[in-house]
Amino acid sequence: MDFADLAAFTIHDAKNRLALVATRAEANGDAETLRGILESSASLTRLLAYYKAEKESLGAEIDARVPADLVNELALDIGKQTTLTISADWSGAPQLWFYDENLVRMVLLNALYNALRFAQKNIVISAVDRNEWLEFSIADDGAGFPPEQLGEQQNMQPVSRDGTGLGLYLAQRVAALHRNAGRTGRIELNNEGGAVFRLLLPQ
Amino acid sequence: MAIVSPYSNTSVLILDDLPEMRSSLRSQLASLGCEKVSVSGNVKDALELCKQNRFDVILCDFYLSGGTDGQQFLEYLRNRRIIGRSTVFVMVTAEKGYDNVVTAAECLPDDYLLKPFTADALKSRIERLVEKKKRLAKADAMQDKGNWPEVIAACEEIIAAKDRHLVDAMRIKGNALIMAGRTENAVEFYQQMIAMRPMPWAQLGLARALHLSGDMTGGKNTLQSLIIDSPKMMAAYDLLGRMHQESGDHDEALAVLDSACEISPNSLARHRAIASVAEETGDYSRVEQALNQVVKKTRNSPLRDTSDFARLGNALTEMGEPGKAVQLLEEARTSFKEDANNPLLSAVEAVAQQKAGRPEQAAQALTRAMQGGVSNLPQEIALAVAKACLATGKQDEGENILKKLVQSSPDATGLHGKVSAVLRDNGLAERAEQLVAESKREIIQLNNEAVRRARAGQLTAAAEMLVEAANRLPGNVQIVTNASFALLFDVYTNGLDPAKIRMAQQFQQSAQTQNPKHPKLAEITELMGRIRSKYAAGKT
Repeated sequence: MDFADLAAFTIHDAKNRLALVATRAEANGDAETLRGILESSASLTRLLAYYKAEKESLGAEIDARVPADLVNELALDIGKQTTLTISADWSGAPQLWFYDENLVRMVLLNALYNALRFAQKNIVISAVDRNEWLEFSIADDGAGFPPEQLGEQQNMQPVSRDGTGLGLYLAQRVAALHRNAGRTGRIELNNEGGAVFRLLLPQ
Repeated sequence: MAIVSPYSNTSVLILDDLPEMRSSLRSQLASLGCEKVSVSGNVKDALELCKQNRFDVILCDFYLSGGTDGQQFLEYLRNRRIIGRSTVFVMVTAEKGYDNVVTAAECLPDDYLLKPFTADALKSRIERLVEKKKRLAKADAMQDKGNWPEVIAACEEIIAAKDRHLVDAMRIKGNALIMAGRTENAVEFYQQMIAMRPMPWAQLGLARALHLSGDMTGGKNTLQSLIIDSPKMMAAYDLLGRMHQESGDHDEALAVLDSACEISPNSLARHRAIASVAEETGDYSRVEQALNQVVKKTRNSPLRDTSDFARLGNALTEMGEPGKAVQLLEEARTSFKEDANNPLLSAVEAVAQQKAGRPEQAAQALTRAMQGGVSNLPQEIALAVAKACLATGKQDEGENILKKLVQSSPDATGLHGKVSAVLRDNGLAERAEQLVAESKREIIQLNNEAVRRARAGQLTAAAEMLVEAANRLPGNVQIVTNASFALLFDVYTNGLDPAKIRMAQQFQQSAQTQNPKHPKLAEITELMGRIRSKYAAGKT
């Protein structure tokens, strides 16, 4: 068996074990442990996605989805893992949009776990219709991104000094898989009274 | 005050081979207030539970021990209609897309749930899916019944409302248009969908519709570009393979299915498709190779299919290994109790036993094959029974079955080829052409005779003749529509007779399902209208 297959089986096995511990932590109301488990599991998911992206086998299964559901689900899920206030705003969201929900969830989860590290009190997850684009955003009230990371993200390297490179690299790959009518999805990082991560997906 | 959970009445089945996972899911469901939870650790028990109860939700782990996975389980449940469309099927997996592939839309789970997940995530997902099923309830129920015009109507209502289920309704509507025989409308509908967004399922739908409307080139082109965009869309390979096969391009067909097998080596459907193509070209070593895989994977699984064993047995016999075939077929007969008298299995066994030099066992097997009667057998099985008759020296019985097959579909040249092949393989090559021609001539004579009687004013006699023929050959749409028309014309001319009208309507419905585009159907509808106005006027 080659290393890649072995790694995939191992990740699978590890996630199964993590699932069992997560249920226990959740039943005991142990938010901190739950967060540790789910965050570790999310990083395993990214590792596997990275491997697929490198092998050019990371494909998007694009279908009609409800952005409000995703935003809501993420807020509920993350809300259980922290004492910060996590709110969801889908008041400006389109009813339906076309994207791969699993990949988009992976990207937003990564941005959320980053925000959890830096936020003071609040994190807002939102979905807004921006005229032919759907904008998902994760906004926190922390110190913001370092200046060199701001703006539209291009050509990210998978590993950077502070170790957050893989998430952004994948976010960019996932955004690029969402193409339609000559437009391609993109990632934007801004400081607007805190860090704001945006994923823009074309109609 | 006790709070009643909205889920206290939602019935859920959990299928997972790991005991800890089962109890973990169970406790999550309990925290949501689900009280009706059944739990199963293996496919066999889960299958029994599904046969005995209706579940609102099935949570099934993708990796199951015992040679099956959740996708195979779902395909089995859906293909045999063990669960209806109103049941939510959620595939639980630690990894989406590691080796699972997109199969036919019919057999896709309603959703995937990635482990680990919180009870809240489970709750919001179930909420979402149950709400969706509620919205689609009418369309789903009509789909389960095969009432496609009603499915289309139900979908159009949702499409007009433009709510969040718009695209779900469009997906169902496209398929319903195809199933209702409205292929031109389906082509147009899918083209509009694709202009909105070229989703893989819409491209596949377009290819299906083009195929049925006879545009093979358009269909193949659509599928080829779909496969480039979505290489994991297995249904695209299946359809492309079938289209190549229909155009007589067996090598192309096999090449397409082989490439699908490389992507999805665990899929039983692909191996079966390869076997079908190879059977048609007489390449029995390919058939053996493909079906051996299927039989090996399903031998000890409750999801096994008796016809795989029968077809493998046939391939072995054809390859000159009747002894091996007998061994396999006897194993199938003795271990699959409920299928011991399966006509295909028995027919194939009769040939194998005969060739293995055991005529007595061959005769017994043939008796089993024919004991349920041969008139209502599906084409493939009827051919096998005819072959068994010829192989065991019962030439008249064999020829009668073949004749009826030809007369049921006098224009199906593909079938006539198969009929000729059966005769040729049994040393009756010169009979082949004769039998096909004779069978067709009889049908033409029967039709002419009925027309002659009708012209001579013997409407009742003409109708009786055609009714007899239609009952004997329910698959011959021309005869069936003529019978319906003759009955109605008799009523129109000679007076109301509710029994005749009922019979005419039954024939009309049967023809409608078999070939909704048959030209005679419009004449029947028109005559029905004339009858209505004639006798309505008479009453007042």
